[in-house]
Amino acid sequence: MIDAIKLRILQGDPIVHDVKNANLPKLFRGLPTIVDKPCPEGCDKCAAVCPVHAITANPVKIDLGRCTFCPLCEEACPGKLIHYTNNYHIASDKRENLIVTKDTKSITPARAAKKIRDYFGKSLKLRQVSAGGCNGCELELNALNNVNFDMGRFGIEFVASPRHADGIVITGPITKNMANPLQICYDAVPNPKIIILVGTCSIAGHVFESSDCLQRKFLDENKIDLYVPGCPPHPLTFITGILSFIGR
Amino acid sequence: MSSLQIQNNQCFRLDEIIFSAKNDFLNTVSEHLSNGFRMIGLFPPDKGNPGRIIAALANSGSSELCIVGGEFPEDKLEFESFAVSFPQTNYFECELAENYGYTPLNHPWLRPVRKQNVILGDKPYHFYKLEGDEVHEVAVGPIHAGVIEPGHFRFQCHGELVYNLEINLGYQHRGVEALFLEADSNRRIMLAESTAGDTVIGHTYAHCNVVESLSNTQIGLRAQVIRSVAEELERIAMHLSGLGGVANDIGLAIVASSYGRLRTLVINSLADLSGSRFGRGLFVYGGVRFDFDSENINHIMKKLNTVRNDVKVINDFLFSSTGALVRFEKTGAVSPDSAFKIGLVGLAARSCGIELDTRINYPYGSYRYFPVSQITLSTGDVFARARLRALEIDESLRFIFEQIENLPEGEIRGDAGDAEPVSGVVSITEGWRGEIVHIAVTDEKGGIVQYKIKDPSFNNWYGLSLALRKTEISDFPLCNKSFDLSYAGHDL
Ligand code: SF4
Ligand code: SF4
Repeated sequence: MIDAIKLRILQGDPIVHDVKNANLPKLFRGLPTIVDKPCPEGCDKCAAVCPVHAITANPVKIDLGRCTFCPLCEEACPGKLIHYTNNYHIASDKRENLIVTKDTKSITPARAAKKIRDYFGKSLKLRQVSAGGCNGCELELNALNNVNFDMGRFGIEFVASPRHADGIVITGPITKNMANPLQICYDAVPNPKIIILVGTCSIAGHVFESSDCLQRKFLDENKIDLYVPGCPPHPLTFITGILSFIGR
Repeated sequence: MSSLQIQNNQCFRLDEIIFSAKNDFLNTVSEHLSNGFRMIGLFPPDKGNPGRIIAALANSGSSELCIVGGEFPEDKLEFESFAVSFPQTNYFECELAENYGYTPLNHPWLRPVRKQNVILGDKPYHFYKLEGDEVHEVAVGPIHAGVIEPGHFRFQCHGELVYNLEINLGYQHRGVEALFLEADSNRRIMLAESTAGDTVIGHTYAHCNVVESLSNTQIGLRAQVIRSVAEELERIAMHLSGLGGVANDIGLAIVASSYGRLRTLVINSLADLSGSRFGRGLFVYGGVRFDFDSENINHIMKKLNTVRNDVKVINDFLFSSTGALVRFEKTGAVSPDSAFKIGLVGLAARSCGIELDTRINYPYGSYRYFPVSQITLSTGDVFARARLRALEIDESLRFIFEQIENLPEGEIRGDAGDAEPVSGVVSITEGWRGEIVHIAVTDEKGGIVQYKIKDPSFNNWYGLSLALRKTEISDFPLCNKSFDLSYAGHDL
């Protein structure tokens, strides 16, 4: 017993108190900024190196839904126009808002419809489905429950049964072999329900996009409520994205 | 009786391999297997010519590595299965059957590896079934209760006791090996990083070794040290996660959350170095992208000092708790004999007393100059797998502190040249789970035409099945967590 108390004391106070204003490591790659200068004549070095076709040159536009934050384009740009900052606020409710231009200063999801906020604003239970995820996104989602991020304090939790869930969180590029289980799981969630895509894989297919082992039909057939970009997204990107979405 | 002796990361020309007639091939492979070799690859180097295959074999005891080539008549791709005498080859043969149309005759248990609903040997696959009074079946998955990757488990039980656990995977299959062939170099690194996202460093290290060996690229010592420090950080982080997992499964919440807190410090150290908590973006062909400087070393040392100090206290608490020991000891035990026969690797093998650690048996990178110690335990149960993690964390911390305190000077990044044409290379690294093998083969232009990956999970899932035999079904989560295997790495 005494030893357990000692362990508790050793824990100290590791929690991130203010999830909206945390300080991430200097090198962490979050929201990119693009300098408002024209690209050098004929240059498309950034687009040429990008392994996932996430960036176009002249004017520079980066699609964070596709981007894996690798940072080849930042390195390749001779004009140093691209810089990835450690701003982790990059979740969005609209796919098109993930496209960063020189004018993008920040990305925040709009508040969900009133009905959704009324239903889920204080308590949101989610069922996660890994559909080809590499376990990177899954580890970060699991980290949401640790003593550092403790998402439960906001009433947001992962649950085991889709019947107890208010929505699903999809990771991975959706393999053929998981397409059916994903559908069955989604159907089992009672209405109203939301869909959250976590990670480059689920949003745009990542490097697996061209694989013939995927079946991404589900995404065309259903409305996506929240996109959480990153490879994998930082836990704080998830928390802050969801909090804004449910209006908190 | 001919085999090509090679070394880890040694580029060889394909014409050095002698492709002997089928029977010679089978005999040579059998002979090696009886002499303590393990299979680490079995596939045709040229997909367009499935009749020519190679077996890559490793003998960790003697640190030997060799390639045996064989020529099969193209209309008769069949052979007497090795698996009857050497169960360790069973799954490799299943994969050969699934991907390249071979028929292993009298194979004890031909089943799909990654494809669902495949027809093998003219029959659709049926799960193994136990029959009799009071026999029942429990099916779990593919979607499990937590935030975990998908897989299907079938327990054949008699009362509470599990007689057989069949593990059916493939749900995560993304076609990684095929994608390697069409990808350019930037894409390939990203693929390697995403093969198994909990082993970013282990897989990317193996992949870079493949490409750098094929192109005879030398890596500066400083870059090599940064690579192995990253590999050890990954090991510590995932071992902490595994320890937290087993603590959680026996209800020791304070211990689980303490390990979780330390894991955060370790992955944040990786982020201090590379910007990514998993070390994505760190590896480039010819070295690493990010360097140590006084600032990030400061941040990292501060975190790792806390880890070194606290992990001792937490380990002491866990491993002296009677409640924990009762659950850990003798649970999910795999005997050394079974472990050897089924070809268990990595942490799971070492906890059965098998000396098998790539960093020591086939050293690569900076492990050649700065060795780590081989640590083994003997009981092969949950206790051993948990305890071994704790011991390996100490050793990895020692290694990291030593390396960071004595960082060599020099360039961290060079250029990789062109790959040798018509050549091959076998690269093995020791990921935190165990042996990771990447094998590549090039064509006349130096383009990669065959790429094979073996994650340690490919060997070890069957170990989990064995561990469950005659164990209560309620011990499954604990056993599973003590192995902590990869679905994505297996399914590719
Ligand atoms: S950081 Fe994103 S946009 Fe830039 S090269 Fe990498 S994936 Fe492409
Ligand atoms: S987005 Fe990245 S971390 Fe997430 S599943 Fe895909 S490859 Fe893994």
